Amino acid sequence: MNRLAQEAVIVGLARRLHDRGSWSGETHLQKATYLLHELFGVPFDFDFILYKHGPFSFQLRDELDSMRADRLLEREVQAPPYGPRIVVTERGKELEQRFGRTMGRHAEALDWAAARLGDRGVTDLERLATALWVTRDLPKGRSVQDRAAALHVVKPHVSMASATDAVRELDEMLVEAESVAV
Amino acid sequence: MVPKRHHEVRDAVHVFIHFEDAERAVIDSRPFQRLREIHQLALSYLVYPGASHKRFEHSLGVMEVAGRIFDVVTRPDKVSDAVRDVIPEHGGSEHQYWRSVLRMAALCHDTGHLPFSHGAEDELLPAGWDHERLTREIIHSDEMAAVWESMRPKPESDDVVKLALGPRKVEKLKLGLSFDAWQAILAEIIVGDVFGADRIDYLLRDSLHTGVAYGRFDFHRLIETLRIIPGAPEGGDGSADVDPQLGCERGGLESAEALMLARYFMFAQVYYHPTRMAYNEHLKDFLSAWLPDGVFPIDAEDHLSRTDSEVLTAIRDAAGEAGAPGHEAARRIVNREHFRIAYNRQPDDVGARSLATGAIAAAAEHFGADKVRYGASPRRGDPPDFPVRERDGSSVSSLSLSEVLTRLPASHDEYVFVEPSMREQAKRWITDQRGSIIDQALAEQAHEEETTT
Repeated sequence: MNRLAQEAVIVGLARRLHDRGSWSGETHLQKATYLLHELFGVPFDFDFILYKHGPFSFQLRDELDSMRADRLLEREVQAPPYGPRIVVTERGKELEQRFGRTMGRHAEALDWAAARLGDRGVTDLERLATALWVTRDLPKGRSVQDRAAALHVVKPHVSMASATDAVRELDEMLVEAESVAV
Repeated sequence: MVPKRHHEVRDAVHVFIHFEDAERAVIDSRPFQRLREIHQLALSYLVYPGASHKRFEHSLGVMEVAGRIFDVVTRPDKVSDAVRDVIPEHGGSEHQYWRSVLRMAALCHDTGHLPFSHGAEDELLPAGWDHERLTREIIHSDEMAAVWESMRPKPESDDVVKLALGPRKVEKLKLGLSFDAWQAILAEIIVGDVFGADRIDYLLRDSLHTGVAYGRFDFHRLIETLRIIPGAPEGGDGSADVDPQLGCERGGLESAEALMLARYFMFAQVYYHPTRMAYNEHLKDFLSAWLPDGVFPIDAEDHLSRTDSEVLTAIRDAAGEAGAPGHEAARRIVNREHFRIAYNRQPDDVGARSLATGAIAAAAEHFGADKVRYGASPRRGDPPDFPVRERDGSSVSSLSLSEVLTRLPASHDEYVFVEPSMREQAKRWITDQRGSIIDQALAEQAHEEETTT
């Protein structure tokens, strides 16, 4: 994807998450982008490392900054103590329309992300995205328990029970992703 | 006579910088001494005559500031129960080890800089290389290994790399290093986007040497109020598991605001001053022509032999010898005949039209590719959010508290520079053609993407 097309897809994701009632802060966009890239092969040009709340991309952070500078997105400040939400501007919506075919190509994956992730909080998203990270990191075919243990090691504040639930849910998502055309 | 273990040097910003024998071994090493010959602000001294300071004193300053921040945020009375598990026991061996690694990393964080610092980096190294990767090579070099080996406790070179580069560069360079919560905070202390010692020192130091007072802020107060605290909640299910970060006490918010204002003004006034950016283009042109194969060597030994001194001598020689590689660019630098602005990004060059300046620069090459240059600052957004500890101990988003931070504009500077004699002609042409150039560039971008299968 060229830069503008990639920005259009991020706008499409942010808009869908927002429409689904997501808090739509930076962490929500970070985790949703990671899951879309890894589960559906949406060709974002971002590398991720295990960092804040699990997989995190500084390149995506810079892209979100840049999109705010270009008035495609803006921060919606919240009452204390909460961090800001990220909302799509009219210019952002125009960009999405300009890249209609690109948006069509990824619509099903973006809809999936909005439906599956839209109502999830930061803690849930951290668990799910980190479950995917350890699943990709470990040799193929490792058991739910092995992967949950690995998740617990990299995120000690996630209990084994919670890590196990996250890995199970991720496995469901992997199956769902196979049935979604991209 | 008792050998001296503690040392101090005078410093223009911090008055005194203190260090110990082990740190002196790093300071005395060739990679660090080379920084005496690397200008902190590249050719900015052609715009701000006082800006002739070097990476050497900046790196000492980063060590000093990083050490002060570490000492404040790990003091037992400053550590809350919410984050106590993350921080090693005060005064214990692990605490001492990481304090030492932090200061070593702060010293080493700029050792990979090419001559003229950032000014010539992007296009003058082989693909996949940048100054941070060179920094990593130096930290892992035999020369530095001998220095690490002599220390007690001996720092692991990968630990020094992690803190010197931080997660952003580790991600970019795909180094495969991971950060636990403690290491992530230590890296933030040096290279963090918000309160990094690198940023604190360069704003203060560059402000002092350029004479641009906007870069000053109350860093003493700021450092005293820095804390390791849980991140502020982002909505949804709240903050229970949020990773700890570097934030500040509620009483430090105003000094943090001043830091962000300093950053904004210094970027606009100094770091992306258009004349500096024009000189930067001439410097790149010169180096591309002068360097063997157009790129700097990546071998650590060759890297250490290249400083601003050799480059400046070469520029002066090339400027006086028609036909020498890079003569034209060298002549422009020496004679101050830099390119002039023909177009700068307009307020409506946003949204999809954000490609305007780049497209105009490309189209303007019909005047001759050697007569037009494009220069841009990073497309940076508004200030980053950081957690603030309220008096009741809770973490609150800085943006939910500070109207100053929410109103600080995003800055992005882009320019089309042209050969001085054709400036007016180019400006008229751009005024006439701007609309059609942008429309065509947009259509090409959309077509290119929409036809991708």
